[in-house]
Amino acid sequence: MIASLKSRAASRKATRKPHWRQLGTEPDYRFSLANERTFLAWIRTALSILAGSVFLDQFSTKLASQHAGLLISVALGFLAAALCGIAYRRWRSNEIAMRHARELPGTIIISVLAGFMLVISAVITILLAL
Amino acid sequence: MSANLNFKPGLARDPGLQGERTSLAWKRTALLVVVNALLTLRTGLSSNATALTILAVVLLCSAGIAVSFSAWRRQHLRSSYSVSARVMLVTSMVAVGTCGAGIASIFISRI
Repeated sequence: MIASLKSRAASRKATRKPHWRQLGTEPDYRFSLANERTFLAWIRTALSILAGSVFLDQFSTKLASQHAGLLISVALGFLAAALCGIAYRRWRSNEIAMRHARELPGTIIISVLAGFMLVISAVITILLAL
Repeated sequence: MSANLNFKPGLARDPGLQGERTSLAWKRTALLVVVNALLTLRTGLSSNATALTILAVVLLCSAGIAVSFSAWRRQHLRSSYSVSARVMLVTSMVAVGTCGAGIASIFISRI
């Protein structure tokens, strides 16, 4: 009786899991927790960018062009939203790679983000200096 | 017997403090949701935008839930080390919602 209840609970738990999480072997807990923290670090990066964009819009009075300020703020806001989605996709693909003992997928997002931030900082500096 | 003062019956031995670090990462993330929710709340109240104010309050509540989740997860770390995929998806969606609130507050404050 108890065994059948237990197996039913286990199968319900298994069906609640997405398909990709039922394949391969469960990764070492240190690695899955590190993957979880990496996801959270990406979310925090996105939310910091968002806070920066709102601050830029609402507290900047010395920008040479208000339109350019609005454009930068909105662009940063959409970048933040995109990073949140990317964070989930990366967490998922990292876990799939771990489950099948494959190499972790690389990403161009880090270099794209660095380039984007470099350009935005340069533009804001120029707008402040003008 | 008194060698490990941090030992709790529910927790596995965790020399890398993985559980604590993960729990703190959740709390830091929740804190940033709070910061953004307060910025949204400010715009919502000063521009009389009720929808934005409600959204900000919802975001504050979800930050509270995230903090409770981090504490719960640390306590129950042994039963399931890997986080549920649905929790991650919902977290990501809440973050996207926070971004939406931020973008909306940029436009609403200009009206």
